[in-house]
Amino acid sequence: MIDPLKASLEIAGAGLDAQSTRLRIISQNIANSQSTASVAGGDPYARQTVSFDSVLDRSTGVDLVRVKSIGVDESPFKLELDPGNPAADASGYVKMPNIDVLIELADMREANRTYEANLQVAKQSADMMNQTVSLLKDA
Amino acid sequence: MPPLSPAHKRRHALSASSVQAASPIFRIARQEGRIRLSAIYLDQLATQRTQWLNLRQSLIAGNVSNANTPGFAAKDLPPFSTVLAQTQVAMTATDPMHIAPTPADYAPPQAADEDGANSTLSGNSVNMEGEMMKLGEIGRDASTVNAIKKIYHQMMLSALK
Repeated sequence: MIDPLKASLEIAGAGLDAQSTRLRIISQNIANSQSTASVAGGDPYARQTVSFDSVLDRSTGVDLVRVKSIGVDESPFKLELDPGNPAADASGYVKMPNIDVLIELADMREANRTYEANLQVAKQSADMMNQTVSLLKDA
Repeated sequence: MPPLSPAHKRRHALSASSVQAASPIFRIARQEGRIRLSAIYLDQLATQRTQWLNLRQSLIAGNVSNANTPGFAAKDLPPFSTVLAQTQVAMTATDPMHIAPTPADYAPPQAADEDGANSTLSGNSVNMEGEMMKLGEIGRDASTVNAIKKIYHQMMLSALK
């Protein structure tokens, strides 16, 4: 194992990376919360989900976090009556994405919180390194 | 195997007793005419404490970054007193091939929440607030140890001047 403080920087960096990917998917979901199909009666944008996994990084010998998979939410689409919509089927119903913006916002908050926590760890690790270096100063 | 030379024996005896001899803490062991700074207990203690804190920091980093990983069990180190209790005698490394033990060898990381009482539905047992508390604790302790080291270092320098 490498120097634990360096390792914690690596780990926190992996955490930041994972959470920013999560944030990207959330923003994609929110942006597409009204995206309907381009053909009549077709399926609209399906909500995407992120799953994390802990993996052993062989170069540092520590467990890093990484995005395991970006999946698709299988829950059913909402139906809205809107006969004038180009995506409406024969009976006038449009399939809307299975996205609840409130859930996405809550998820965003959580991603934000975890991102901040990782940042705090990185800050403190760097701070501890600096403290050790400062032992050499004004000696 | 040839018997150990008297010099060898003396060296081993010195290093073993220097760590053990907490009674005269500031006794400086002389070896081959030179003063060995590492023979002073406080210095070694501070180093061990720093190693332990660094290791704990990396475990906390792992916990925080895996706060949303399903099935991840939070890890932590046993208290520093466990390390202290098990590092009574340390042999001097007289050969580059000798491996010096680190606190991780005496007190390996373990699951922080062994009965899984605090784990969520996804099997994750990271308690973010608790981790941040530990992080603050580590930061505080690291500053303390560093301050002690600094003062100790200044004492050494003023003795040399």
